[in-house]
Amino acid sequence: MNKTGIIFFPAFDWSLGEFHPEREERLLYTQEQIFEEGIMDLPQVRQYSPGVADLFDVLRTQAIFPDLQQHNLDAHLIAVGSSLVLGNALMKKEITNGFALVRPPGHHSGATVWGNRGFCTLNNEAILINVLRAKYGIKKIAVIDTDVHHGDGTQDIFYHDPNVLYISIHQDGRTIFPGTGFTEEKGGPNAWGSVLNIPLLPGVGDEGFLYALENWIMPAVEAFKPDLIINSAGQDNHFTDPLASMNVTARGYGKITEMIKPDLAVLEGGYAIEGALPYINMAIFLALAGEDYSGVVESQKPQNTEIGGDTIRSFLTDLKRTNKAVRPSWVFRKEQFLPAGDWVYSEKSIYYDTDGFKENRKEYIRKCSHCGGTVLMISQKTSAFQKAVLARIPFEACPDCEQAGYDLAETFKKLEKTVLLQNQLRDQVHLWRDGREVNPFGG
Amino acid sequence: MASLIGIDVGGTFTDAVMITNGVIERKGKIPTNQDDILNTIISALDYLQISKAKNIETITVSTTLVTNAIMQKDLPEVELILFPGTGMKLSSLPWPVDYSVLTGVLDYRGRVVVPADQSEWQTLAEKLNKQSVKPLTAIVSKFSHRNNVFEEQLAAYLHREVPGITTALGSQSGQANFYRRSLTTYLNLAATELFQNFAYQLKMAVEARGCRAPIRVLKADGGVLPLAKIRPVESIYSGPAASVLGTLAQSNPEESYVVVDIGGTTTDIGLVLSGSPLISTHGAQIGPFLTNVRSLAVRSVSIGGDSAVCLDQGEVMLAEYRLGPAYCIGGISPTPTDALRYLNLTDYGDLQRAEEALGMLLPENQRTASDLRRTAEIIVEKMVEKIARAIEQLLEEWKTEPAYKVWEVIHHHDDFKFYIQLSGGGAPGLEAALEDRMKLRTVLTEFSEVSNAIGAAMAKPTFSWTLHLDTKFSIYRIEETGEQGIWTGPKKPHREVEDFLKELAQKQAVGLGIETDDLEKEIFDYFPLVENYHTVGQIVKGAMHVPPGVIGRIRS
Ligand SMILES: [Zn+2]
Ligand SMILES: [Zn+2]
Repeated sequence: MNKTGIIFFPAFDWSLGEFHPEREERLLYTQEQIFEEGIMDLPQVRQYSPGVADLFDVLRTQAIFPDLQQHNLDAHLIAVGSSLVLGNALMKKEITNGFALVRPPGHHSGATVWGNRGFCTLNNEAILINVLRAKYGIKKIAVIDTDVHHGDGTQDIFYHDPNVLYISIHQDGRTIFPGTGFTEEKGGPNAWGSVLNIPLLPGVGDEGFLYALENWIMPAVEAFKPDLIINSAGQDNHFTDPLASMNVTARGYGKITEMIKPDLAVLEGGYAIEGALPYINMAIFLALAGEDYSGVVESQKPQNTEIGGDTIRSFLTDLKRTNKAVRPSWVFRKEQFLPAGDWVYSEKSIYYDTDGFKENRKEYIRKCSHCGGTVLMISQKTSAFQKAVLARIPFEACPDCEQAGYDLAETFKKLEKTVLLQNQLRDQVHLWRDGREVNPFGG
Repeated sequence: MASLIGIDVGGTFTDAVMITNGVIERKGKIPTNQDDILNTIISALDYLQISKAKNIETITVSTTLVTNAIMQKDLPEVELILFPGTGMKLSSLPWPVDYSVLTGVLDYRGRVVVPADQSEWQTLAEKLNKQSVKPLTAIVSKFSHRNNVFEEQLAAYLHREVPGITTALGSQSGQANFYRRSLTTYLNLAATELFQNFAYQLKMAVEARGCRAPIRVLKADGGVLPLAKIRPVESIYSGPAASVLGTLAQSNPEESYVVVDIGGTTTDIGLVLSGSPLISTHGAQIGPFLTNVRSLAVRSVSIGGDSAVCLDQGEVMLAEYRLGPAYCIGGISPTPTDALRYLNLTDYGDLQRAEEALGMLLPENQRTASDLRRTAEIIVEKMVEKIARAIEQLLEEWKTEPAYKVWEVIHHHDDFKFYIQLSGGGAPGLEAALEDRMKLRTVLTEFSEVSNAIGAAMAKPTFSWTLHLDTKFSIYRIEETGEQGIWTGPKKPHREVEDFLKELAQKQAVGLGIETDDLEKEIFDYFPLVENYHTVGQIVKGAMHVPPGVIGRIRS
């Protein structure tokens, strides 16, 4: 029998605004449903109480700019902390799987953070993954993101990381926020193929999702041989979701969960707070607990015509062919500030929709055949002309990449106001302000 | 001067006290007759000489009547009829009783999704008519705490079609959890006749002694209600609540401590945080029944002063049962009490016999003073270890309570300075050992041996009114009473809701004989109901409590 851990943290006193989809009652009806069903009384279920994440665990994974004190992180730290509570319970073998039914969500929050985007400020799964690696020595983790939106934040954080496989199945970015997640995005120069994006046509329902899982996603996961599987369990693929146009049912989500068999599922989006969440959360939970979810039936019936059968099969076959055919093309750059080695350059612009500003980022990654490669990100919040720098020495870095990380920090602390060094190899973080090393956690 | 009377029916002994003006006037213990709880209580009242007392204000009993009947499966059969709707399969949870299932689906806001199928009802009525002359029928629908339409309609139908039927509805207690609500409704109905007979006879017996004082019953959550108002199932597990309240009456208000009540074979452990007993977030479990009966967060360990001590492969073991009283007071088996007596940690019992008792645990050639002493110490250590683990578990449970709001998590682990309040017949002599093990100051409660009866006597009436209001549907519900009514106030209320609930609480409190001077407001949550970027109503959740506590303090 599975022992399933659950943390239910609806954050009833936190919202992004009265009319905002991410508001207090997002999990109100889910609470009504799961409490009335008595799921906490199932003999194999263990309810945990929420935790608060350590700021160190945040900074190991995400660079919070210009500093932690500029953000109100309370609710986000609890959503992360709760995911960590279940992660610890899993590692201690108290549970065989778990569901962090928490808000706010996190998968749009990336490697550098200037504010809230797509309702996310901290990335629940990414921070969790790096805690599991740092604290428990877990080597390989697969993330399957079943939110309707591309989890661009999670992809951003692990883009150069060969030991984290990020798979996202979502509504095509040309039709929905955040506008990314094309099948050509397959990972950085040292981690090519560790990202798999499956953008779908609007209207795909249970059948299409299950087909993609069976024929593409699960085989990819099996080939990767992860030690752990994490599901970013967004629920906005539901046929009642106000922000998206997919056609998945609650029982479809149950089946998806059954196929993925995640060690941990973390709630992401899902904004049909009446039509979808109470049912999907039940179905996912029951599937995790090994219980029959066939009785979970929405009170509304799907109305859109579903894109199913041959249409979705041939669509996915074509997409798979396209994905296979993509070849990497890297832009190499030489800059004075770069230590020895070959550095691949890219740049991106990140829009923070909640607060309405942009971040421009230049990114350099040290091409390396021994490790994930040191990363440099020079980030600028455009409206405020504020600049900040992140240097990251990856888990299991080789000596050359490690040295490159220190050299970058040394160089940039003299050049820029804010410099953060994430030393994942030695499990340390350092912050410099105006050239002086300061306590990154404030105080 | 008016007196308060408290009776606590325990497994072995029944404690009784009469308290006048905070002073214990009479106290005593009589053996409990488990087969005749009513007469045990009446004997205890006679022991206190209530027929001679002039002015008795209240009589409060904490009784194991219903607990015993449930545990011994001594209750009549109840027909359990469920409207499980959609969702989790009934078979996912263990049901200790049979049930039958009817069609009809409600959603989480109480909307009818699939109506009931009345053609099924006729078959049911025929079956009930055939089965029994006076069938007891518990009817529970999923989400009936949001809308009791199916339950009420079926009950009305059955009352027409099945003469002599008694029905009980799940919505009469309006808390979530269909499973627990079903089992609680079942148990309550099953225990009703037994309890009513008991209540009637107790009242008669008290009146026959010339006493007209109101009789109250202690509940598992530490509150009391008049004999005629209590739902029988709420009288289960009032013993541990009595221990906590008894300690409360003998300590300073605002203090935080662990209550450890060591009885003959069980030790009850409770927690008081700044003068308020900790309430469990789950309902009480009794035997195989999970209920939604509100109770104090307590732990019970099967260990006490009379627990039998035996040998298991040469090692001293504490049994989870009792073989009569301690050897040192005339029993047949060595017990922790003998160990405490031998170590001179108590002067209760005969020292010579205590030594004999310990000797029984050693080979004849190893009964030197130091061997006996070592054996006694091991017994005390083992007892303290068991209790200590239970204390740690309870503290852990408190620290890991679920929380649903940011401020609850952020302010969850406020520092409390705990100490231990030790009470109960088995308590004397254990302070030092427990203090040493827990590294917490340990104090022996003054009237340790009748602490539970003091708790019963001095318990305050309590009640809670938890409101769930949906202004879009203009319906309010009260969890504790199951009341469902029409809301005539505004769609986006604010203070009006709080005033509404306060008024309702005050009015109903009068009917229950409860003073509402210290009505406590819980923070109200307001959830806007948004449709197309417009607020179309609100769901409001809030509560008013008369919290558990005691009337005054005992003076020595
Ligand atoms: Zn989403
Ligand atoms: Zn390297």
